[in-house]
Amino acid sequence: MHRVSPWVVASLLLLGAGAYSETSWKGVRQAVPEISRKDLEPTLGQGVLLGILGGLRTVVADATWLRSYVFWERRDRAGCEALMKTACALDPRSRFFWENTGYAVGYDFAHWEIRRRGGYAKVAPDIQEGIFRRYAQLGLAIFEDGVEHTGGNSGILISAGQLAEIKLKDNLLAAAYYRRATQAKTVPWFAYFMCARTMWEAGQKKEAYEWYRTQWLGKLKKDEDGAPDDLERLRFMEDELKVPVQLRIPRQTWEK
Amino acid sequence: MNARLTRTSWIARITFLEAIRQRFFAFLLVLSAVMVVSSVSLRFMDFGHSELKFVADFAFGGMFLFGSVLALVMTAQLFFAEIENRTALTLLAKPLSRTEFLLGKFLGTWAVLGVFVFSIAFLQGVILWSRTQELIVLAAETGRVAPDFSVSGLASFAVLQWLRLGVVAAMVLMVSAVARTFLFTVIVGAMAIVAGQLQWLAQEALLKPSDASVVTKSLLWISSRVIPNLQQFNIGDTLVLDPTAISGAAVWSVVLSGLFYLVAFLALASLAFRRREI
Repeated sequence: MHRVSPWVVASLLLLGAGAYSETSWKGVRQAVPEISRKDLEPTLGQGVLLGILGGLRTVVADATWLRSYVFWERRDRAGCEALMKTACALDPRSRFFWENTGYAVGYDFAHWEIRRRGGYAKVAPDIQEGIFRRYAQLGLAIFEDGVEHTGGNSGILISAGQLAEIKLKDNLLAAAYYRRATQAKTVPWFAYFMCARTMWEAGQKKEAYEWYRTQWLGKLKKDEDGAPDDLERLRFMEDELKVPVQLRIPRQTWEK
Repeated sequence: MNARLTRTSWIARITFLEAIRQRFFAFLLVLSAVMVVSSVSLRFMDFGHSELKFVADFAFGGMFLFGSVLALVMTAQLFFAEIENRTALTLLAKPLSRTEFLLGKFLGTWAVLGVFVFSIAFLQGVILWSRTQELIVLAAETGRVAPDFSVSGLASFAVLQWLRLGVVAAMVLMVSAVARTFLFTVIVGAMAIVAGQLQWLAQEALLKPSDASVVTKSLLWISSRVIPNLQQFNIGDTLVLDPTAISGAAVWSVVLSGLFYLVAFLALASLAFRRREI
């Protein structure tokens, strides 16, 4: 009994250290980028493990991204997607990786697929449309992941809106993305207009005007130059909607 | 008690002097330093990160990779050199306990690892500071917000890395205490480091509600208790570039966790070494 007890104490000490590490890990978990095992499985054993282990993560992510370009040039969809997603997984806070992976999947892959099936002349237009829509959906899923991991990056939201608009021809979905972009920390100046335009083109003209007007009066008017381009577009909308003069945005002193 | 401390510190001192003179140590130190210095000229390879993050990541990588190699190989080599050269027998024939011998070995190795980590951290600080000064000038010209880094965050990170390497060294000593060969120790130690870096996966899988079998859950529980979580020390990005995103209490909690592991592994190593035939 006397000889066993130090072993028991030491083992309990190790178990206690293990149990305590759960608490300490919870405290610093936010500071370590989220890495999904699923994302990394396809490329494990190709140097990526090094990136998971700590340090060098940015460097390995960059190298992985460079390697993905080799597959991109070969039009190798599987290899390209796997490596691009790996770069995203290794450095999930980088807007660049998410945005460009979304672009490749959402725009390029559909063209590769059509060419693989014999080219634009051989694939029926409705099939082509289906392919474009399928890859656009996949691209949007990547953008959504990117938005989540980057804390709502407005650039990725704008890219998602453009993909929804161009490939899915879904102006309402695009407007929803642009609107989310206007609520981000750093908003590009054109996000308001893009949201209002897509709502307008989706047939929600009155809603588009009301929303754009609220944004202009609440935020854009306070800009250094008073956002004259946005006001010009609002005037166009007021004309189109035949808004009575007394209900229109009051004329600004600097307005032409 | 004082005599014990004196004896332990003598072993630590001899181990430190022996280790710091090794070419292997100098080689890895120079290699890491080159890696840190070259990061500035390699920044054109970067995609979409802040420049300081890219530069800092090289040093983090150097500390992690070469520091781990150093902790693993040097600890095992210094221990087995004493056994194979029979100097351990001579030393232990004197009034020196095995625990004192092992603790001295650990402290000497840890001190060398400290020299490695703090030298690289200092160099990283110099590189980051000089590049920050250039970026401040550029930012002023273009009207952008100048980037910055935290010196205290860098110091905290260096301490955390030193502690991590201490845990690795203690773990390797524990393996050395039961292993028969240097090669076996290095292989098992390397696997333990990889497992430690990935331990958080087991920890998180255990915390998340799932329909895993009892056997799987038991395995996860054991691995998350026995294998140290080494990933918790890799918070350099946040500490150096975004120090407000992490609380001081969380960092202290990691330090405490590291110390617990260190003591636990040293206790187990000491017990195993007591029974070992030399």
